[in-house]
Amino acid sequence: MTAPENRVIPASNFTRFLEAIMAEQPVIGPRERPDQPGFYRFGRLARAEDFAPDYGTTTVPPKKTFAALREKLFSFTLDSPPELDLHFDSSPFVLLGIHPCDLSGIDALDHAYSQPPAEVRWTANRRRASLIGLDCRPDSYCFCTQVGTESNRNPCDLFLTPMEDGYLVEVHSDAGAALLEKADTRKAGEEDEAAAEQWRREKAAGIVPEFDAPVEKIADILEVGGLTPVWKETADRCYSCGSCNTTCPTCFCFDMVDDIEPDLSGGARYRTWDSCQLLDFALVASGHNFRGERWQRVRHRWQRKFLYLYRQFDRPYCTGCGRCSRACTADINLVDVANRLIAAAQKEA
Amino acid sequence: MAEPAKNQAVDRTRIFYVPERARVMTTRQEPSATFVELGFEDGRPLNHHPGQFVQVSVFGYGEAPISVCSSPTRPESFALCVQSMGNVSRAIADLTPGDWVGIRGPYGRGCFPIDRMKNKDVLLIAGGIGMAPLRGLIQFICDNRDDYGRFMVVYGAKTPSDILFREETEQWTENPDLDFYRTVDEPDDEWEGRTGVVTEPLKEIDIDPENTIAAACGPPVMFRFIAMDLLKKKLPEERIYFSLERRFKCGIGKCGHCQLNDLYVCQDGPVFRYADLLKRTEAGEVWAPEKDQDTA
Ligand SMILES: Cc1cc2nc3c(=O)[nH]c(=O)nc-3n(C[C@H](O)[C@H](O)[C@H](O)COP(=O)(O)OP(=O)(O)OC[C@H]3O[C@@H](n4cnc5c(N)ncnc54)[C@H](O)[C@@H]3O)c2cc1C
Ligand code: SF4
Ligand code: SF4
Ligand code: FES
Repeated sequence: MTAPENRVIPASNFTRFLEAIMAEQPVIGPRERPDQPGFYRFGRLARAEDFAPDYGTTTVPPKKTFAALREKLFSFTLDSPPELDLHFDSSPFVLLGIHPCDLSGIDALDHAYSQPPAEVRWTANRRRASLIGLDCRPDSYCFCTQVGTESNRNPCDLFLTPMEDGYLVEVHSDAGAALLEKADTRKAGEEDEAAAEQWRREKAAGIVPEFDAPVEKIADILEVGGLTPVWKETADRCYSCGSCNTTCPTCFCFDMVDDIEPDLSGGARYRTWDSCQLLDFALVASGHNFRGERWQRVRHRWQRKFLYLYRQFDRPYCTGCGRCSRACTADINLVDVANRLIAAAQKEA
Repeated sequence: MAEPAKNQAVDRTRIFYVPERARVMTTRQEPSATFVELGFEDGRPLNHHPGQFVQVSVFGYGEAPISVCSSPTRPESFALCVQSMGNVSRAIADLTPGDWVGIRGPYGRGCFPIDRMKNKDVLLIAGGIGMAPLRGLIQFICDNRDDYGRFMVVYGAKTPSDILFREETEQWTENPDLDFYRTVDEPDDEWEGRTGVVTEPLKEIDIDPENTIAAACGPPVMFRFIAMDLLKKKLPEERIYFSLERRFKCGIGKCGHCQLNDLYVCQDGPVFRYADLLKRTEAGEVWAPEKDQDTA
């Protein structure tokens, strides 16, 4: 479609817009955790006022709406022969308030899971959703500018940039345009565009952590290798808890497990998130562990994100969201490790 | 965005994680493994290539990757040979005729190179449960014997009671179609055959390095010694094939468990050329863990 002009939606109209959407389909968006004020998570909004537009990065990324932490793949009976039931939910919903980095995380999984044979459950859930992005203010962990996601709009249907009163709305798809018909908007003028541009400039200026080399260089550095000292010193601090993986929007490794109903009538197979940092991730039944050393697992996470998947999909499998660094029990910071790698490579050269 | 997917609109056969039902036709207990013969409900063949595996579901227990140990030249059924190692494999060992399992696959783009092996001498080396995938290949070559040159098979088991396919391997010893060498690491009082690790008989075998293709399957540590022996015989690295084991969950390159550097063992393998493995540090580390090189 040709790029339609941007619109402006004043704050009061925005609430009515949300209510109009919510009358038709569920809206999942950032809301404050009742148990932990000041912390936010993506959840179904009960009222339009639940939407917390100035939320800081959630602990768990919004990918959970398309691939739940524990997702039922199918259920089975224990009859002879067993009967399988795959229930696919097809009801539409809106995912609201996704930051540019998290849109990039969804894009990363779109690429990975659409490789044939496609992961149909992800694809089917993605088809249910309309995505409304939202621009943000960085905290001290964010480094989106270092991986080029600060102004990412892919994939989304509508994108909101906060303004003094309401939002500047970019329309990115026909579905987005159709959704926006429910809203009372006006055409964006030069001043509105300038205000949005100012928002983006301030945002970029607010990013603190920096890679000491461009991100594409990190792939080359990993490819050349000779980085064992950095892997080992990082591993010395790491607990192999897996928090860095389970909070990461681009991680997509999983486990598959069966569960049986207590009455033995049947059961179900589930897909659950998994982490390559856990000790048993590459352990086989004969007892051999293919990544038994912690530094091998640390190295693998880096090679996967910044080398293998980077080369395969032509983008780093890191969105700069900073979740892994925020979540790390050992205070290991991704940008810090990147810079140690860069320094080690420079010393070699 | 596109129309939301409707329940019925999702084509079940294209959902990779949904197994198809297969019925247990026969089972046979071997001292250290269970042999299971399976067939699909509609009697269609599995249509696999030697070296491929299937993901076997025992509902309620889970799934495990198991090599197809029969040959596609015998399509009436397909067979598995399973050692009880844990949750799923123990459940497979408990199956009886008439029971149902789920099957996904056959999977694995990296198979034994049956076309490349044509008109060449073929040397196969199996250690332990590694005999399972190779047995399918042995049957295949025996069924197409005229297409292949000399045919040599070396098989090492830990003890005499660990020998898989006991009767069949006895027949291979007599079979003029192949030179079969069988050895055990630890003999018992009745054992009259060879003793020693699998590389011992390998040392005796003279090969024509210009015209031989070798393939091996066995425990991770075995590969290094086999490779050393084969290279000593001047066999080039690109004519040596290894079938690898890793932890598998999805079997189709999604779950990440089986990754070996940039390769997914489930999808790119499980059979690889040694020449390609040599370029991968995560393969080398298994063979020579004391050397920590970490080039990708
Ligand atoms: C391509 C391929 C082909 C194969 N072909 C065959 C074949 O033909 N025949 C055959 O017998 N095998 C074969 N295998 C091996 C077989 O897949 C494994 O033995 C099987 O997956 C074991 O599954 P399980 O559920 O029985 O064991 P699991 O229950 O998964 O456990 C097995 C063992 O793993 C360890 N383990 C698992 N989970 C944990 C944990 N959370 N913490 C600590 N330890 C843990 C334990 O030591 C346990 O005893 C093949 C493997 C591959 C990859
Ligand atoms: S690696 Fe860390 S910073 Fe990068 S996307 Fe994952 S959680 Fe965010
Ligand atoms: S979150 Fe930190 S401690 Fe935990 S596995 Fe990741 S790097 Fe290691
Ligand atoms: S087993 Fe899942 S990626 Fe190979």
